[in-house]
Amino acid sequence: MTLVLSDINDLKSNKIHKLDIIGKVCPMTFVYTKLALEKMNSGDILELTLDFPAAVKNIPDNCKRQNIGELIDIKHVDKEKKAWILKIKKI
Amino acid sequence: MDFTEEQIERYSRQIVLKEIGGVGQAKLLNSKITIIGCGGLGSPVAYYLTAAGIGNIKLVDFDTVDISNLHRQILHFTKDLNKNKTQSAYEKLHELNPDVKIELVNKILLPDNIKDIIEDSDFVIDGSDNIPTKMLINDACVNLNIPFTIAGVIRFNGQIITVNPKKKTACYRCVFGDITEHEPSMSCSQAGIIGLIPGIIGSIQANEAIKYLLKIGDLITNRMLFLDLLKYRFSFIKIAKNENCIACGDNAKNLIETYDYNIGDACFE
Repeated sequence: MTLVLSDINDLKSNKIHKLDIIGKVCPMTFVYTKLALEKMNSGDILELTLDFPAAVKNIPDNCKRQNIGELIDIKHVDKEKKAWILKIKKI
Repeated sequence: MDFTEEQIERYSRQIVLKEIGGVGQAKLLNSKITIIGCGGLGSPVAYYLTAAGIGNIKLVDFDTVDISNLHRQILHFTKDLNKNKTQSAYEKLHELNPDVKIELVNKILLPDNIKDIIEDSDFVIDGSDNIPTKMLINDACVNLNIPFTIAGVIRFNGQIITVNPKKKTACYRCVFGDITEHEPSMSCSQAGIIGLIPGIIGSIQANEAIKYLLKIGDLITNRMLFLDLLKYRFSFIKIAKNENCIACGDNAKNLIETYDYNIGDACFE
């Protein structure tokens, strides 16, 4: 099993799941995101850390198109290394 | 189910599909399909279903590879001449996807053995080359309540129907009735066949199996698809369930025990 999600409870009781997909490129970035979302409950948040620039747009677009998640936050955490944190809420 | 990293990569283009995902892929990996015949139809069917990660595949064929098979039976190569078709098919399929458990049955499908061979299947695919065997598959699957698809190919033409006995859709006998009333049909060896027609029809059969297992899209039930690749005519013909059908009608008989299929007399190429 390589898809390791770490769980932390947030204050509103919706769980936050963290997934690191640094090094993955499209379409695998979406594949891992989708597999993670499928394991979560509706309303839970997936906090993705990634470094593939195109995925910053592609992941939210695909989640919306397949009606599995919506983008609620995006942070450019490391401008030199080009890393982002995306928060996706499971629908 | 948990996937290995290799599985996630291997099936990534299916997992991406809205209709499949990880949930659908897990279903495919836990499914069992029996393919009758490893020839023109069985080759693409087995190839695509193995590639798609159907977890358990049973291949049934009694025949050996002949050089005249090679223009259409794409699992067999020149080096395989005289080899059992199931063995020849296994060697390629196992290399294609070692994830898949493949069981080989080197037997002629008969009324005596068909139930044992197909009863643990989620779906059965007919890739046989003669009408009596197609009728036998139809009758046994209807009797055992196993969904299945039957196809036929000749010259530049192909036809395909899927039957879901769980939903009481029209069966192959609702279309063709009692075969003992008909003249034996002409085989590929006499009529000829363009090599790619079983490739197209077999691919559609594999699609039917995947769609049935995942409960997605529309199946070719209560209708038949006819392809004419000379004129490029693709037509559906509606099929009504026959209430008097001897296989699936209101007074259906247990045909496997009683019907004379004449499998041995069928014209095998």
